[in-house]
Amino acid sequence: MTEKRDKYTKYEKARIIGARALQIAAGAPVLIRTEEIDPIEIAMEEFESGNIPITVKRKK
Amino acid sequence: MYTKIRAIDVVRVPPERLGDELRPTVKEVLQDNLEGRMDKKIGMVIAILDVVDMKEGRIIIGDSGVYYETVFDMLVFKPKMQEIVEGEVVEIVAFGAFVAIGPLDGLLHISQITDEYISYDEKGEKLVTKDTGKTLGEGDKLRARIVAISLNEMDPGDSKIGLTMRQPGLGKLEWIEEEREKEKKGEQEKINR
Repeated sequence: MTEKRDKYTKYEKARIIGARALQIAAGAPVLIRTEEIDPIEIAMEEFESGNIPITVKRKK
Repeated sequence: MYTKIRAIDVVRVPPERLGDELRPTVKEVLQDNLEGRMDKKIGMVIAILDVVDMKEGRIIIGDSGVYYETVFDMLVFKPKMQEIVEGEVVEIVAFGAFVAIGPLDGLLHISQITDEYISYDEKGEKLVTKDTGKTLGEGDKLRARIVAISLNEMDPGDSKIGLTMRQPGLGKLEWIEEEREKEKKGEQEKINR
């Protein structure tokens, strides 16, 4: 549980990758060097590398 | 009257701007959204001065933009009833003169220029008084009071501001100066006597 991505549930992961993929599809700059073309694939790769600047606010 | 106002607004930063520095981007978006806008309560927004504070961004489902709640300072112009303004004549027409008072123009109707009878000189594009021959033309600077305001939010340029100069201390700056000289002379004569 040291890596950032392990903190998220699968639902949170889906939400983050979804939001990030939409941003990339709409023209946001990509944060990693990648061969991928599909925004969803790019977003997943960014997520795996821990580069997505999105956090989850949980209700207490 | 110009005022500096602190306001709060939610700003959408579009995805293609996400790579840029945040504060300047937010300021730019605010400028695009608000500058030149008219609000009956606030007045006309002249400029966004400074982004004071920003909260964390929020991502909404189905929207690729990021929303930031922002506190910022802006410069606004709001004409106030009975306010004294100084301006320059920008156009003379048959029914009066249009006077630039900041970002908006006010209308000075011929009946509100002097106590004298005044008429429109078509050739010279000037307004001339009957007895003393005072003239009012384009480019003349004057001091007037705001007596009517009707702001149009949809089309700021269509807003109407009514002015008057038929009060002591108001008029073309040269007239005011003359009036003051006359008064000084009068007092001098009183003392001499």
